[in-house]
Amino acid sequence: MINSANGMASGQGASSSSSAGAGAGTGANAPSPGLKTYFKTPEGRYKLHYEKGHPSGLMHYVQGKTVTQATLAHLKDRPSPPTPPAQSSSGFSASSGVRSAAARLLGGSNGSRALSFVGGNGGSKSISASSRLGSMGVSSSSNSTSTSNFDGRGTYLIFNMGDGLFISDLNSQDKEPMKAIYFNNVYPVCHAFDQDAKEGHDLVIGLSTGDVYSVSLRQQLQDSGKKLIGAQHYNKDGSVNGSRCTCIAWVPGGDGAFVVAHVDGNLYVYEKSKDGAGDSSFPAIKDQTQFSVAHARYSKSNPIARWHICQGSINSMVFSTDGAYLAAVGRDGYLRVFDYSKEQLICGGKSYYGALLCCAWSMDGKYILAGGEDDLVQVWSMEERKVVAWGEGHNSWVSGVAFDSYWSPPNADDTGESVMYRFGSVGQDTQLLLWDLELDEIVVPLRRPPGGSPTFSTGSQSAHWDSTPPVGILQPAPSMRDVPKLSPLVAHRVHTEPLSGLIFTQESVLTVCREGHTKVWMRPGVAESQASNVETVLSTSLKDKPPSTKVNYSGQAMTGTNGGFFHGSRIFGH
Amino acid sequence: MGAAGSKLEKALGDSFPEGERYFGLENFGNTCYCNSVLQALYFCVPFRDQLLDYYANNKSLGDEDNLLACLADLFTQISSQKKKTGVIAPKRFVQRLKKQNELFRSYMHQDAHEFLNFLLNEIVDTLEKEAQAAKNDQETSSPAEKTANGPKNAHANGGPKEQLDTWVHKNFQGILTNETRCLRCETVTARDETFFDLSLDIEQNSSITSCLKNFSSTETLNAEDKFFCDKCCSLQEAQKRMKIKKPPQILVIHLKRFKYIEQLGRYKKLSYRVVFPLELKLSNTVEDADSEYSLFAVVVHVGSGPNHGHYVSLVKSHNHWLFFDDENVEMIDESAVQTFFGSAQEYSSNTDHGYILFYERLGNGHMS
Ligand SMILES: [Zn+2]
Repeated sequence: MINSANGMASGQGASSSSSAGAGAGTGANAPSPGLKTYFKTPEGRYKLHYEKGHPSGLMHYVQGKTVTQATLAHLKDRPSPPTPPAQSSSGFSASSGVRSAAARLLGGSNGSRALSFVGGNGGSKSISASSRLGSMGVSSSSNSTSTSNFDGRGTYLIFNMGDGLFISDLNSQDKEPMKAIYFNNVYPVCHAFDQDAKEGHDLVIGLSTGDVYSVSLRQQLQDSGKKLIGAQHYNKDGSVNGSRCTCIAWVPGGDGAFVVAHVDGNLYVYEKSKDGAGDSSFPAIKDQTQFSVAHARYSKSNPIARWHICQGSINSMVFSTDGAYLAAVGRDGYLRVFDYSKEQLICGGKSYYGALLCCAWSMDGKYILAGGEDDLVQVWSMEERKVVAWGEGHNSWVSGVAFDSYWSPPNADDTGESVMYRFGSVGQDTQLLLWDLELDEIVVPLRRPPGGSPTFSTGSQSAHWDSTPPVGILQPAPSMRDVPKLSPLVAHRVHTEPLSGLIFTQESVLTVCREGHTKVWMRPGVAESQASNVETVLSTSLKDKPPSTKVNYSGQAMTGTNGGFFHGSRIFGH
Repeated sequence: MGAAGSKLEKALGDSFPEGERYFGLENFGNTCYCNSVLQALYFCVPFRDQLLDYYANNKSLGDEDNLLACLADLFTQISSQKKKTGVIAPKRFVQRLKKQNELFRSYMHQDAHEFLNFLLNEIVDTLEKEAQAAKNDQETSSPAEKTANGPKNAHANGGPKEQLDTWVHKNFQGILTNETRCLRCETVTARDETFFDLSLDIEQNSSITSCLKNFSSTETLNAEDKFFCDKCCSLQEAQKRMKIKKPPQILVIHLKRFKYIEQLGRYKKLSYRVVFPLELKLSNTVEDADSEYSLFAVVVHVGSGPNHGHYVSLVKSHNHWLFFDDENVEMIDESAVQTFFGSAQEYSSNTDHGYILFYERLGNGHMS
């Protein structure tokens, strides 16, 4: 396993199978001897900092019922000390839904919070509670003296597993979550946090029954119980749509609007300022194959609109950073991009084959990543309205993709006219892959021969400008030879279970597995200021690359351009 | 049984497909390996249609005693049932099977993949014999011409199998090209071989796509395993890879879940999680076009070991997924297919694993 630790479980033969089996045999909570605790990139080592998990006593029967998703929530104005700790947290939870009170009580002293944890968790959890106290003490004291020194301290990891929703303090090393909310035989399956919520609820949760809740995250943290408190309940008992929720998202700058996608291909728009009491009704969908939008007849009810997007499940959806566009992927294998305010389908296209499972926008809104059952990471260009690259490197379905918006190219002056992006992907092969994407507006770099100078193809690319498909037209699946290929910069087996999510933060990369475990990988120079030798990394990376990835079936391919990292050679001529 | 049938009918309601029959198959003691494969073949519609045609065109089959006749009889029985659902006993077929092959006569657990292979080859043999007999009949009926050459020709035709393209070939047969490139003289030697199914090595937490890629990946022949190059007239290091030259109409993929462990001196079941998509493309082909496939049946092995266990099958019929477990037939949701991928942990309570996958080619890939 040493040799393949930086790469994928290698191609053929009994040895790789048995080693993979040995690695998988270890319990999810036990340390995994087959897995390395770091991986190398040109900019240095990413080190495993710590792991987050669900409570160890969680029943195993719930395993496989749900797939863990993770959300990061950054609470900006943390408790400012000191307010008399007179009000107990239980008293607070009784005053449900009083938002002004919530805002005031956020100032509730750390003392009362600590008490509520100890009281709520009882003796068995006292050890973890006390260590948590320690980390909180640090954060609160630094908060009282200097708010600018407070960065990252109020970041929480929210994740679902079975019938529980769990909240961990991201900056605490505690493995067990600080808060568990149980839904009793129904499963929370998706959640989203509104970073920009000025008032009211900021956390929305979608359930396996189709039900949706909105709550205040802070209010949950201040309560000691194991139930959701102060919640607004929408689509109660699936009265509007009884199919499983798949994905939920706040509309950026949407003034408290959020959207919920369902397994039946419908998406609903809610507004948190409206009551959930009055349920909306919508006309029957005339043509299941066509995109259609219906608005609620009464302005006071929720949801306010239904979008019928596709036949079969909507597996994921993401808003562009500015909220102008919504990208959705689903069972039918199509990526669809909508102009959100115009409620219009702009463009989209089919996967190579199979369902798409995840998608993500670049910060500048120019590219969308999508991954799914063809094991490929596709890069979709909004300008060209087509797939401009396929990332080949996963050995199973791609379940999470994300651009690393904190990454900047090592030597920006060298890149000239082109734009560079760093992105990551995780898959059911338990691997994290990192990719560099260099996209010049006109030139697509070909995969370089070893040691040779880069060759470029021009001409045909610019011709595509004229053939940009009209609005609302979905592209068919491209053929294998027509799409340039990318090779990963890094392939690292990070968990023993298939992965479900990936989040980049300023300090770290978070990988999330289906069974509720999150690993926090510190960026180079964050965990320790250890100088990394790029030359060593290069040679290691080349050596560790398994032979199976070197076969390239189609002609065009591009590298991740970063300082001569070469990962592919064609063995058979074309 | 009747109740179960009506339950399925109720579940399907108005969407019960016109003319379709969903019948469970009785188990005659460890014949689930047989039942699961028969269901998958029954819902392989082009194959079923050919078999029903064959039965209709050979009325005398009732007396004929071979596996092909028994299978045609069974499929005809199912498709001509008055009821839409129920249970049928494949008695004649199983009796014939046990009589025919020592391997399947015992009450020991049998391998579904071996059975499928055996069955398809038996049908081919019978069809070829019948075609040969018909030809001989024709030749004997016109004795005036080239009597001397007759037997010789017949012999030549009977030799290489590709001479006779039966409907089994047309449905299931694909061609692999084994390309070997001598590393000294760069000469590429290509050798074709036909297949009815692809047996793939599997890895933990992988996909069928990845297993197919590994199947076609380049292998270096060196050391004791050198290649005899005709041009160099000596053993040379070489690179070898398998490409699919002709993608089959029905792509049958067998996952090698039963692995012989030398240290143990016995077979072990690999419960690895191997995901299979509902749609698949073969890109490791010689042809330029990517051939596209859709999953329509899965034979599932249930159990933790190779020597005991159970077989069931999942079948897609008219856009509904059905679960066949001997006598029982149930409707399942498409999303339930993913519960048969296998387990990411070696010791898991989940023991139901996809074992044989049946994909049907879509679009322009019509039979010639
Ligand atoms: Zn040679």
